[in-house]
Amino acid sequence: MIRNKIIQLGLRLVLGGVFIWTGLMKIMDPLEFAQSIANYRTFPRLLVFLLALILPWIELICGACLILGVFQKTSAVILSGLLVSFLILIIITIFRGIDIDCGCFGTFSRKVDFRLILTDAVLLLLALSILFSKISGKPKLEQS
Amino acid sequence: MLKKKFWLQTALIIGLSTLIGLGSHLGLIKRYFAGEFQRSFLSWEEYTSITFITLGEAEDYFLQGGAIFIDSRSQDEFKAGRILGAINIPFKDREKELALKKINFSQDATLVIYCDAHECQSSVNLAKLLHEEGYQVIKVLYGGWLEWVNAGLPTEEGKKIEIEQYDDSQ
Repeated sequence: MIRNKIIQLGLRLVLGGVFIWTGLMKIMDPLEFAQSIANYRTFPRLLVFLLALILPWIELICGACLILGVFQKTSAVILSGLLVSFLILIIITIFRGIDIDCGCFGTFSRKVDFRLILTDAVLLLLALSILFSKISGKPKLEQS
Repeated sequence: MLKKKFWLQTALIIGLSTLIGLGSHLGLIKRYFAGEFQRSFLSWEEYTSITFITLGEAEDYFLQGGAIFIDSRSQDEFKAGRILGAINIPFKDREKELALKKINFSQDATLVIYCDAHECQSSVNLAKLLHEEGYQVIKVLYGGWLEWVNAGLPTEEGKKIEIEQYDDSQ
């Protein structure tokens, strides 16, 4: 369990920053992101469309919450859930042999491959570290 | 108690995201339900040169001649069977530049692009790239290879036709 405040802040800034950036990249071009999701050939069209409109805002708001220090644990849980879902989707896509860009970083998106699994795993580790860190100082809503 | 707070906060974050996400794109939602994004998430306003065609229309282009049929599937799939006379541009996002360097059709040539079937997206992605490069008549065969071969239309297989053969610049 991480107790050091500086490390906790660093983790929140890094993870929050990453998700604010990825969220913004997708928000700027929702159709491009929708097409990226459609490329996975996994979800029905309406779900693809709704995901493209809503998911980037979840990333952005959770990222902002982490940086601002509000709803930290809840944001970490939501982002962990998203990252686990992305990991499963990436693994399935690799095994299906579909050669596409991940669509995860807007125009800076990378090819779906094992390096992407590593990137997601590192982000998941950051999210879990925040989730299991002990928040010190003034009691907050999510503290026991 | 903690669980209740967690679910309340989760509902707040997801609810707010849904509200902003849907609320800020009412125009897109309207266009979706008007049928604009049923085949791909291309904006008709932006990609004016791209149209989706049926098997019948593709067959007309094939019989009339003049149209260039482009197979965006992998080389192996192309080798195993393709529309008669089609050329292969296996589309991968990572290899855009490579593909573009090798292609130099006339800008007003009629390009008919296809991949596997309805759910494949490489034909759409290649169409987008060609539109961005200034090609003006781009047709995407929505039913793809599967529909063509199931209809018993002319096909060929075997030896790969290199795209360099169609490159006027070399």
